[in-house]
Amino acid sequence: MRKILSSPSGVVGVMLLTVVMSAAAFGPWLAPYDPQLFHAQNRLEGPSIAHWLGTDHYGRDMLSRILNGARSTVLFGLGATALGVCAGSIIGVVAGVEGGRTDSVIMRLLDGMLAMPELLFTLLIVTLLGGGTLQALLAVGVAFTPGMARIARSAVLSVRTREYVLAARARGESRAWIVLREVMPNAIGPIIVEATIRVSFAIMIGATLGFLGLGAQPPSTEWGLMVSEARQFMFRNPWGVIVPGIAIAMTAMGFNLFGDALRDAFDPKRSH
Amino acid sequence: MPETAPDQPVLEVQNYSMAYDTEAGRVEALKNVSLSVRPGETHAIVGESGSGKTTLAWAIMRYLPDNAHDLNGAILLGGSDLIGMSQVALTDLRGRRVSMVYQDPSSSLNPSMTLGDQVSEVLRRHRGMLPAEARIETEAALKRTGIRDPAAIMKRYPHEASGGEKQRVIIATAFACNPELIIFDEPTTALDILTANQIIELFLKLRDETGVAAIYISHDLGLVSRVADTVSVLYQGEVVEQGDVATVFGAPVHPYTQRLLASLPRPADRLAIDAPNDDAALMTLENVGVCYYAPSLLTRLLEPKTTAVYGARNISFSVKPGELLGVVGESGSGKSTIAKAATGLHPFEGKITFDGKTYENAKAFNREYRRQVQIIFQHPDGSLNPRETIGRILARPLLLYGLVPRVQVADRVAELLEMVLLPREFASRFPHQLSGGQKQRVAIARAFAAEPKLVICDEITASLDVSVQAVMARLLVDLQTRSGAACIFITHDLNLVRQLAHRIVVMRDGAVVESFATENSEQPDRAPYTQDLINAVPVLARPTLPKEIEELLQ
Repeated sequence: MRKILSSPSGVVGVMLLTVVMSAAAFGPWLAPYDPQLFHAQNRLEGPSIAHWLGTDHYGRDMLSRILNGARSTVLFGLGATALGVCAGSIIGVVAGVEGGRTDSVIMRLLDGMLAMPELLFTLLIVTLLGGGTLQALLAVGVAFTPGMARIARSAVLSVRTREYVLAARARGESRAWIVLREVMPNAIGPIIVEATIRVSFAIMIGATLGFLGLGAQPPSTEWGLMVSEARQFMFRNPWGVIVPGIAIAMTAMGFNLFGDALRDAFDPKRSH
Repeated sequence: MPETAPDQPVLEVQNYSMAYDTEAGRVEALKNVSLSVRPGETHAIVGESGSGKTTLAWAIMRYLPDNAHDLNGAILLGGSDLIGMSQVALTDLRGRRVSMVYQDPSSSLNPSMTLGDQVSEVLRRHRGMLPAEARIETEAALKRTGIRDPAAIMKRYPHEASGGEKQRVIIATAFACNPELIIFDEPTTALDILTANQIIELFLKLRDETGVAAIYISHDLGLVSRVADTVSVLYQGEVVEQGDVATVFGAPVHPYTQRLLASLPRPADRLAIDAPNDDAALMTLENVGVCYYAPSLLTRLLEPKTTAVYGARNISFSVKPGELLGVVGESGSGKSTIAKAATGLHPFEGKITFDGKTYENAKAFNREYRRQVQIIFQHPDGSLNPRETIGRILARPLLLYGLVPRVQVADRVAELLEMVLLPREFASRFPHQLSGGQKQRVAIARAFAAEPKLVICDEITASLDVSVQAVMARLLVDLQTRSGAACIFITHDLNLVRQLAHRIVVMRDGAVVESFATENSEQPDRAPYTQDLINAVPVLARPTLPKEIEELLQ
């Protein structure tokens, strides 16, 4: 942790994440109004003393909506990434440990999936599964799987031929022991780092899906959906687009910078 | 040598100190180093890894990284100080007046340029030659290095030449502009013994022809005694002893030099335990082969010419209980391949008989076989899992094979640590907190923890410093005496193996050349290849040492 805080990008990342995480944890209690309450008199207003971040087209308080939406947005990012990382790591570790034909077949299939842009791939899955938060989460998770599998496999490959793994094999250790105790602890670093960076992508894809109406459905306070709804009134009240946009950018940047700093901290060349 | 008068030293380092800025603060890498090299003289710098040898070479070339700082002193080349010289002046000087030959010939040549172009580049840059002239001069320069067909070599790219040829090309480049000083940084470490020997001979020949002054950096004292006139012994950035090679190596004064010289392996100082009388073999290899690449059916149909690639083929030898068998060969001779086959890390063909049971493939090795045949690897840094404590690493074989009841594991781990002369407290440490030698002791303890009947040591001393090597060899013999285990000791160091082994197997290109009892290693009926290997490594005479040092070593 000290190493992460020693780089400027790490400090900014940690600060942004602290803000976003506290909003996700305590948002509903911090919010000054009910996020779904209409203030019909004050529709489409800019920031004021009563509504710090303005109001949307129904006169709902933007600050309250942002604070309420933080949890679902962050959870979406974390959930989708966790799904992709778990599935990808299992596939990648199996491919890396087995090697040979199994490895070739798995990796060629994944290469085929990787050839499709992530967002397009997600859209395809969402079209198949139908709209909704859960479906979108599943889609992002599946779209992340091939990339994560590649990273897990390369991490495993670099560890697999180390002499302590050979020593374990020569000792007659079971395959499960070798994978779980000798290989995984030494290959997990790059996987964690990549996962952290990917949380930001997941949040952005989630917001995009929300914006396209394929993710969360109204009256959800999901940030992407908020941008989408405010778009119609963009010229009457730009704040409706700017505020959730900045919130999304802050979260994505927080995870991204934190992930970068984490990677540097894990890099043995920088730690000595 | 136009710029240096004959009686004046070519290079003079006066009271030079430098330091690196690191995260842990300023670390002084060189402390008040002084040395001088006269025309035609070869000055050797010896020391163990981390002693500052290479840093000194970089300092003379003025190739220091940004975090390095000159503290005091001067580096005079032909009388003018290199410290504070402008980049332009230095660039002009490098390659023309001072040149350098590096350790690894495969990484010091540009892979996308032909060898001829790399030599002529220097000639065109520093001697202002036209391309045609440079080509002729390059051919002549390469011819002087003993390359048989220089014109053909000039058209090749580095990957098309052997290690020895590449090092010859680099030496030709270094000599191309008739420099005043050449710095050799371990020029033969990456090469095989026989090739290294040819390179040394080439260096001696060119030095006599050109009268160049040279700095020769090496950790190999035997080699230094052959090439150098004077020597500086570097220890933790300080010159602890300096002078004539014969004087320093014959009667060292500083305790560090004494220890360094005493720890050199000499075949006359036998370390081995008494040879076993038993004639029955513990392990027998019969026509064992390891195939690295077998063409698939499709490949064979499409290209009938492709053949299988073998790491080793038709290997047969045996080890007796309690015996130490040395396996010697150059890199690529298949010695490690055999070690991996015998421990089930590579599938193999042929038969391995151990303790009365015959195994015909790697899958047949059961847990009992794996317990009784242990392997120790070359790199101490790689053979311990960095995420486990030393205690857990040593406890693993005990638990896996159920050798001691669970409650006694901690005691046994402490015992094992003491057995390899490490303090008990090391059980709670992680591998990165230990030095290379200490890590290798842990790896040895782990192998002996399984109470094996045979321990295979795969180059276990190759990546350690000379003084640590000697301690490790003694430790191994001591453990062998205590446990009665047999040992296959794989190495390229003939002097060391002749100290340790009862019998020696010589391997080359994946096949056994011959095997013989150690005491017969110098008999005239040895295979020519074995004789070449033995003659290639000089044995330094034992220096006269004060009594207390002699006692300490016993």
